[in-house]
Parts: sequence; C-alpha cells; structure tokens
Amino acid sequence: MTEKQTDTPISRRKFLKTSTLAVTGAAIAYGAVSVPLLRSNRFFLRPPGSLDEKLFLASCIKCGQCLQVCPPQVIELAGISQGFGIGTPYIIPRQGGCILCSGLPCVLACPTGALNHDLSLGKDAEMGLAVITNPDTCLSVQGVNDLVYRLENLQKKNASSPNPTELKEILSSLIKKLTQDEKKAWQNKFALPEISDNTLLSIPKQLENADLKWIVNFAKSSVQAQKACQVCLEECPLKDEKPIVFVNKTDPNTDKKYIWPSVRKTCVGCGVCEEKCPTPAASIRITPRLKWSEKQAGKQIRKDNLT
Amino acid sequence: MKETSADKNTRQAKIKAFKGPGLRTQNCPQPRHSKHKWRNIRWAVLLFFNFLFFASFFFDIQILEGTLSGSRLLGFHLIDPLAAFQVILSSQIIMVNLIIGVVTIFLIYLMFGGRSFCSWICPYHWLAELGEKIHLNLKKKKIIKNHTFDRKIRYYFYGIFLALALITGYTVFETINPVAIISRFIVYGPSLMLIWVIALLLLEILYSRRAWCRYFCPVGVSYQLIGLVSPLRIKWDKENCSNCKRCQSVCLIPHVLTDSVNQGKAEYIDSSLCTRCGLCVDICDDEALSYGVKYLDKLI
Repeated sequence: MTEKQTDTPISRRKFLKTSTLAVTGAAIAYGAVSVPLLRSNRFFLRPPGSLDEKLFLASCIKCGQCLQVCPPQVIELAGISQGFGIGTPYIIPRQGGCILCSGLPCVLACPTGALNHDLSLGKDAEMGLAVITNPDTCLSVQGVNDLVYRLENLQKKNASSPNPTELKEILSSLIKKLTQDEKKAWQNKFALPEISDNTLLSIPKQLENADLKWIVNFAKSSVQAQKACQVCLEECPLKDEKPIVFVNKTDPNTDKKYIWPSVRKTCVGCGVCEEKCPTPAASIRITPRLKWSEKQAGKQIRKDNLT
Repeated sequence: MKETSADKNTRQAKIKAFKGPGLRTQNCPQPRHSKHKWRNIRWAVLLFFNFLFFASFFFDIQILEGTLSGSRLLGFHLIDPLAAFQVILSSQIIMVNLIIGVVTIFLIYLMFGGRSFCSWICPYHWLAELGEKIHLNLKKKKIIKNHTFDRKIRYYFYGIFLALALITGYTVFETINPVAIISRFIVYGPSLMLIWVIALLLLEILYSRRAWCRYFCPVGVSYQLIGLVSPLRIKWDKENCSNCKRCQSVCLIPHVLTDSVNQGKAEYIDSSLCTRCGLCVDICDDEALSYGVKYLDKLI
C-alpha cells in the first residue's frame, strides 16, 4: 500500500507530462505532414466565383451553405477520399453541371468570400474550360445525330421495356425538331387527334416493341438525323454567348468532311456540356481552373486535372 | 439491492439532519438521485437545434441554415469563432461577414453563458455524454481504468492550430474538427471522416472519461472566453448545501465547483470552464445549486 501511495503520484505526473508532449507533438506533426502531403495538384471544379485554389482552400469555412442554396443541387462536399479539402464544395460535372442560375445564390450564401462576392453574372465566372478530350468518340466529329444515337442505344439496352423517362426525354427533343410532314406521319402512325407537342408526346405510354423499332427507323430517316450532334452547345446555359462553335473541317487522310466543336473564350467551364454529352464517357470534359490565356499558351492538360 | 421504505426514511432523516451550512469536515450520507429536469431540457434544446440544421437542408426550412462552422439564423450570420480566426489567419483577408458572425455568436453566448455552447448545442457533447455512461459502467465493473490528461492541452491546441493556419495557409484543424464533421453529417449525410469521430468516442469510452471535451477540444476555448464575462452562472447557496459533493461526481470539469462547494469562497461558479449543463443542479438534493444571473440577481 505504501509503495503504491508513493508510486502513483509520480507516475501520474509523468504520464501527464509525456501525454501532453505526445498529444501536442502529434497535432503539430499532423499539420506539418498533412498539409504538403494532402495538397495535391489535382483541381476540382469549384462553384462559380471561387478564389484561386490555394486561397480558396484557405478561406472556405466548410459550412456547406453554398450546397444548401444550389437550385439544381449539383454541389457536393469533399470527403477524405478527395484529399486536402475535406468539407470543401465541388462539382462533378458528369453528374450535374452548374447551370449558372441568375443571382448565383451559392456566391451570395458564402460567408467567407471563398466564393468571391464580386461575381454577380454567370457569364463572368471562371470555373474552367471545356476541352474535347475524346474526339474519337465525339458524335459531332463522326457526324452522328445525338437523338438517333440515344434511341439506338436505348433499343440495344432493353428493347422490350425501354426506360420510360429517358425515352420521353429523347422523344420530346425529337418531336420539336421534326418537319411538318414528319409530324403528320407521326400523327398517323399513332392515330393522334391533332398535331401539337403535347399530343404527339402522349404515345410512349402504350409503346410496343414493334413501335420502338418503327420510331428508331423513323428517326433515322428524318431530316433531323442528317444533322450531327450539337448537344454541348444546345444545352449550354450560355449558348447566346456562343462558347462552342462548330467549325467545318476535312480529314486530310480520308477527305471526309466533319464538324469540329471548337471551344471559345466565352466558355466558363460550368460543366453542363460534360453532363449532357451522350457518349458513354463524355467526349467533352471540363478542365477546372484552366484559363483561356493558359490554353492559348498551349498548357498541357493533365488527365488527373479532369474531374 | 432494493431499498426498503424504512431504510429510505432513516436515510432521509439523516440527510435532513445534515442540511444547512455547507463546508463540513465529514460528508453527509449520499442521497439518491432521481430528477433529470435540466438534462432533459438541455437534450431537447440540443436535439431541436441540430434538427433545425437538418431540416434546413432536408425539408428546406430556412430557420437555421448551414452547419456549426458557419450558419445563418433567420438570415443573420453565425460563425464559429475558432473557424473564423483560422480562416482570417490562413487567407489573411478579413471578411466583414466573418466579423459579423463572430460578434453575433459573442452576443448570443454572452446572454446564455459562454461554454453553454458545448452542453446545449454541440452534437459531439451529446454523443460523449452517452459514451460517458458506458465508460462509467465499464469502470464500475472494473473492466477499464480512467486516465487523465493535462487540461491545458486545449489551450495549447488553440494556439497550435491558429499558428498552423497562419503558417500553412490552410484551416488545418477543420479537417479533424469532430464538431464540424458531425454537424456536416447531420445536414449533408455521412462521410468517411466519421471514422475519426468514432475513434475519439472509443478513446473516451475505453481509456479516458470525456477526453475530447475535457482535455483537447479547442472549439470550446472560444466559448470559454465568452464565458469569462457571461453573467449566466450556476449559483451556490451555502445555507442549503450539505456538502455531499455529489455535484462533483457528475461534473464535466469537477474542479470548477471547488471554489464554492469545497471552500465557500464564491457564491457563483465563476470558472469560465463551466458549461452550464445543469447536471449539478439536477443531482443536488439540497436545492443548493441553481441557475442564476450574476450581478442581476442582486438588483432584483
């Protein structure tokens, strides 16, 4: 008992001292080691108005208020697997691009100015730039119409019961682009009372296998099918600014004519084109934080910089 | 072991005999504790405010938007002071919103007692309270032993992480801040960082009672500074106290009670460390402890 009485306080004091040193040391070591280790060169697509990456990481308080107010809900918070910026907001353009909605509520919600409050218009954002990363799969280059491509894919995947929402989405875009004669043919096929976008769309509810085949063939032979895919421009929130222009080109080897989607200075890198690109892996992708001047200077686009 | 009514009566008679001016050399028989009034109120408040955070995103009810790092209460910015200081030091930009948020937090907790943030709002505190129950159970069964650390580590952490923010240009502490991690989990869903929180809880349950809140958490230090001046304090009534010292067995930081209950020096629990959680008020059978407002009580 006496041994314990003399022994305990000393060992306890010793434990207190060593544990304090160990714990504070661990905290310092964590800071010293984790920061350079976790600060990778990988860039994320940040919400509009974000400061330069380094300053952004320093300023973001990780409250997630930008995510709360985002109307299309495309902002996510980074986890530990995203490395350095635990809790910082980013956008995965393939899952949903920023639509640059009016007023930019995410910027207004940011309490620290990590999303710069000077930005008030979506067209002035500098999130990154779109880059045609896979010209080989790009439908524009191949001269394939996007709606025909999607319909065929749908048919291939599941001919007996195509995904109704996707089918409806395709058909609603298709119907808008049909000529008057084609609309009439469509009306006759499904015995519809009149020609309007609404009534024409009412058909997929009672769609049969043979009908789908008919629709695919019909789409293929329509005037629209001659037009190559231009989804990236059509879906662009800034399409009036013409961030993508389709340039006529000729392949020097085969003499084949094709159109090339050329990204212009007005692109802000919102990511909607990447989201909407109909090919299995997006042919157009956002390089976050890439600036027009850097692109002009021929900056190398690293694959790992793509989100 | 069940207590017969006769036993109970004799014990209560003994306690009654002990009532009156505290500070005795011998302790009075331990009364049995049954009320949980303040704990229940506190838990209800804590869960309610964290539900508001959850509801702001899940149901789009815009009363309290954001997380505990930064939020907006009916449009007014609230920013956790430590997070705000880190951001200012790491970005070296002083944003007006940050200042407004910190000042609002200061005013709110000036009214409600500084570290009351810890016990009345912080979701980690709530989990730790549940963990503490398991810890005490295991300790009673002699499966584990409690280990204590230096209480000053919290202040060292405060300094270290602010310095790290300045040096590295990054809010280092926010990567491991369990309060923010849980708050983000409540609002935006789980992330892998929860593993860290679970590890901390296991440390508390198996190794050291309430380790994070007691010894390590620098978040509470900011609120503690507000608690220095906040007049809402626990009041000690010398005349009623029988000096059983049971209040110290439930307290998160038992030494805050010593000035009053042990030494009779102060009428209020003046230590800024006090979280105003009310556990001591609940456990006191002598009605010697209650919530009070220093300075104001005397005026009325």
